[in-house]
Amino acid sequence: MRVLRRLLSFPKTNVERTAIVLGCLILLLALVGAFLVPFDPMKIDFRAKLQAPSMLHWLGTDGSGRDVLSRLLYGARLTLASTFAVIIVVVIIGCTIGIASAFVGGAVDNMLMRLADIWLGFPPLILALGFASALGASLEAAIWALIFSWWPNYARLSRMVTADILSQKFIASADALGVPTHRKVLHYVIPNAMDVMLIQIALDISAVMLAISGLSFIGVGAQIPAPEWGAMIADGRSYVSNGWWIVLAPGIAIFITAVSFNVIGDMLRRELDPTSRRR
Amino acid sequence: MASLAPPTTDRPLLEIRDVSVALRTGNRTMVAGVSLAVRPREVFGIVGESGSGKTLLTRTLLGLQDDAYVAGGSVRFNGQDLPVNGYANKARKLLGHSIGFVPQDPFSSLNPSMRIGKQITEAIYLAKGWPMGAERTREAAIGLMAEVGIPEPALAFNQFPDQFSGGMRQRMVFAIALAQDPKLLVADEPTTALDAITQRRVIELILDRSRKHDLAVILISHNLELLRQSVGRIAVLYGGQLLNIVPSGDIGQSTIHPYTEALFDCIPTREKTLADIRSIPGEPVGAGFGLKGCAFASRCPYVVTACRTTDLPQNAGTASIFSACILGRGVH
Amino acid sequence: MVELKGVAKSFARRLFVQNRSFALRDINIAVGRGEVVGILGESGSGKSTVANIITCLTSYDGGSYRFKGRDIASYTRKERFAFKSDVQIVFQDPYGSLNPRATVRGSVMESLILHRPDLGRRERIERANALLEEVGLSADAGDRYPHEFSGGQRQRVAIARAIAVEPELLVLDEPLSSLDVSIQAQILELFVRMIRERDLTIVFISHDVNVVRLLCDRVYVMNQGAVVEEGFARDVLNHPQNEYTARLLDAVY
Repeated sequence: MRVLRRLLSFPKTNVERTAIVLGCLILLLALVGAFLVPFDPMKIDFRAKLQAPSMLHWLGTDGSGRDVLSRLLYGARLTLASTFAVIIVVVIIGCTIGIASAFVGGAVDNMLMRLADIWLGFPPLILALGFASALGASLEAAIWALIFSWWPNYARLSRMVTADILSQKFIASADALGVPTHRKVLHYVIPNAMDVMLIQIALDISAVMLAISGLSFIGVGAQIPAPEWGAMIADGRSYVSNGWWIVLAPGIAIFITAVSFNVIGDMLRRELDPTSRRR
Repeated sequence: MASLAPPTTDRPLLEIRDVSVALRTGNRTMVAGVSLAVRPREVFGIVGESGSGKTLLTRTLLGLQDDAYVAGGSVRFNGQDLPVNGYANKARKLLGHSIGFVPQDPFSSLNPSMRIGKQITEAIYLAKGWPMGAERTREAAIGLMAEVGIPEPALAFNQFPDQFSGGMRQRMVFAIALAQDPKLLVADEPTTALDAITQRRVIELILDRSRKHDLAVILISHNLELLRQSVGRIAVLYGGQLLNIVPSGDIGQSTIHPYTEALFDCIPTREKTLADIRSIPGEPVGAGFGLKGCAFASRCPYVVTACRTTDLPQNAGTASIFSACILGRGVH
Repeated sequence: MVELKGVAKSFARRLFVQNRSFALRDINIAVGRGEVVGILGESGSGKSTVANIITCLTSYDGGSYRFKGRDIASYTRKERFAFKSDVQIVFQDPYGSLNPRATVRGSVMESLILHRPDLGRRERIERANALLEEVGLSADAGDRYPHEFSGGQRQRVAIARAIAVEPELLVLDEPLSSLDVSIQAQILELFVRMIRERDLTIVFISHDVNVVRLLCDRVYVMNQGAVVEEGFARDVLNHPQNEYTARLLDAVY
C-alpha cells in the first residue's frame, strides 16, 4: 500500500501522466497484442499490396501485402522483448562486476574500472555494428552486440553507487555486528542502490530500443519479414512516395515508446534521485 | 566583565519591531512578531536550537537569505528606517558598510582561489573607496590581519586560504568583516566548526574588538553557556518565536522564562553534577509551527490551557528585558 | 577488559588527499569491567581511530590489543564473530548510521538474527519491541523507516541496535555531538539509566569536557595522536597536570 501510494504521487504533470498511460498501454499491447491481430503478420498477399489505411486494414498494407497493424502489434512484442532481454542481461552482468569491484577494491577494482573506461571509449553503436557484422546479421546478433557494448555503463554506475553506500556509517555499524558479505550485498547495498539503478534502467529502455531498431534499420539486426519496427521502416523506405503509412506507423510507434519511457525515466530521476531529496 | 552590563542610556543602534519572516515559496511565516533593540557597543546574544529560526531571522534581516523575506514589522538601523518593500537590497547595502557579518563556516566563506591579502584589501576598497592608494591599503590590511591575531600577517598576505586552519580562516573572515569599520558585527555560530581552544580565542577576539572600537556585536549560537559567559543580554528564540530577552547574569539565578530555564538545565557546565541535568521531554518544534499560542507549550512544565489559546505577548516597547510567558514567569 | 599496549597506527600519505585523522603513537589504554572511561580530545586527536581499533573496525600497525586477557590477533574467525556481540559501537551521526531501507525494528532485529540464531522470529520481534521501548520509543515506531525520525530518535534506535546483542563493552563515539541541546540531555539521561540497569562497560569518546566530567569515572586526554594525560575524571578535569589538558579546560565554556 505504502509503495503504491508513493508511486501514485510521482507524476506531477499531465505529460507524465500521459507517458505512464502510454507506457503501460505499450507494455500491455506487447503482451497481448499478438492475440488481437486481425491478420497473419507474415502472410504475403500480392493482390492486397500497398493498400492505404481502410476499414479492413486500419494501418494499410505494405509492399508485400502484409497488414501493417498486425505487424506493428507483433513487432511491439519482438522489439520490447529484445529490449528487455538486453537490459536484464546487461544489468545482471554490469551490476555483478560493479558491486564485486567495489567490495574487493584495490588493484582489482582499478583494473576492472579502467577496462570499463576503455570499453566505453568505443561508441556503442559502432561496437555493436562490428560485432553484429561479425556474427552475421540477425536479431540475435544485434541483441548480443548490444549486451556486449552496454554492460560497462552498469558496471561503472553500480560500482560508484556501491562505493558510496560502503562509505556510509550504517555499513560501519554492520561491520561492528559482523554482517557477512552476502548479507551486506542483499540487505544493505542492493536496496539502497535500487533507486539509482531503476532511474538508469528506465532511461535506458528507450536508448536500447532505439539502438535495436537502428541496427535493424541499417540491416545488421532483425531481417524482413520479421516484424521488428526498425526493419519495418527499412523495408518501407522504398515505398515512401506511394505508401507513406508503411514507415509512418512503426516510426510513430518507436517515437511514442521512446518518448514515453524517457519521460518516465526523467520523472523517476526527479522523484528518486538522492541528490534532490534529503534522506 | 564590566562590559557585560547592558548599557541603558544610548538610543538603539538596531531596533526591530514585530518583525516576521516568511518563505518565498508558499509564503509560510517562519518567524513571527520579534521585537528587540540592540544598543551601540552592546554585545547581544541570540540563542536557539536547530529550527528555532535564529539563523533565518538574522540572515533575512541582513538581506542574505534569498528564499525568505521580511513579511511585516519595522526595522531601524542607526536612526534610518528600512522599509519592508525592497528590504533585502537596502539591507545588503548596509552590510557592505555599517554591518559586518561572520558566517558559520570558515571553510566556504573565503574565495579559495584568491590570495588572502587581496580579499581583505578588496573589502577595504569596497567599503571606503580607494582614497589612500594601493600601498597604504596594503598596510591597512596587514594591520587588520595583525589585529585579528594572524601570525606574520605580511607573509600570510600573499597566501591562499587553504594554507590555514579553520581558526585562522575564521580570523580572516573576521578581518574582512572589520575592514569596513562597521558599527555592528553579526556573527552566526562563528565558532561551531572550531575546536574548543580556538573557539575561545575567536570569541575573545570579537569581544576585545567590541570593547576597544565601540563595536556592537550580535552573537548567534546554540551554546547557551558560551553566550552566558560572553554577552550582556540574550534573546531566546524557539519555534520561530521570541520567548525571552534575559540579562545573562539572571540565567541560573533569578526567575526567567520557562524555556530558557529548561534549556539551561539541559546543559552540562563546569559546576553541575548529574543530578543538576534535567532534559526537556519531547522534540523541539520547528520554526513556523503554525499553532496558536506559545511554541514551548507542548514541553513546558508549567503549561496551562491558556498557553495554547492566548496570543503570545509582544515586546512592543522593545524593552531591554522581556519574557513572553503569559504566566508571568520571568516578567520584570 | 580492554588493554591497548603501545598501539600505533599510521596512515598512508596520499597525494592531494588531506587526511584529517592523525597517526596514533604509543597508545596505552586499559578499561576495567564495569568502568565508564572517557577519551577526551579535539577533532584530529585520533580518538575516533582508537574507538575503531577497540571495536576491530580498523587495524593497527604496532603494539597489542588484549580483550578479556586475550590478544585479538590470535582470534579465530569464529571468535572474531563472537567478539562482535561482546563489543558494540554507537556513532556520532544518527543520520548515516541506520540502513535507510530497513525499518527501525529491522535494524534492531539484524543484531539478533546474526548473533541469536536460537531465537524464533516471534521472539526476535518481541525482543526488538522491548528494546525500542527501553530506549524510549513508542510501540508503533518499529514499522517506520529512519527518515521518519528526528536525530535524537535515530540515536535511540542506534543505541537499541547496539545493546540488542547484550554487549559487555559499549563504545560511544561522540554520540551527543550532532544533537540539539535539549535532546543531548535526553540521551545523556538514557545512558545514565542504561549504565545503572545493565551490566555495561563504557568507553565514551567525546570532545565535550563537561559531559565527560559528568559521565565518566576515568578519562584519557588525547592530543595529536597520543594520550597526554590519564586518571580519575574528577582529578584530571579539576586539577590537570598536563599543559595541553589545562589549556583545553581553560577554553571550555
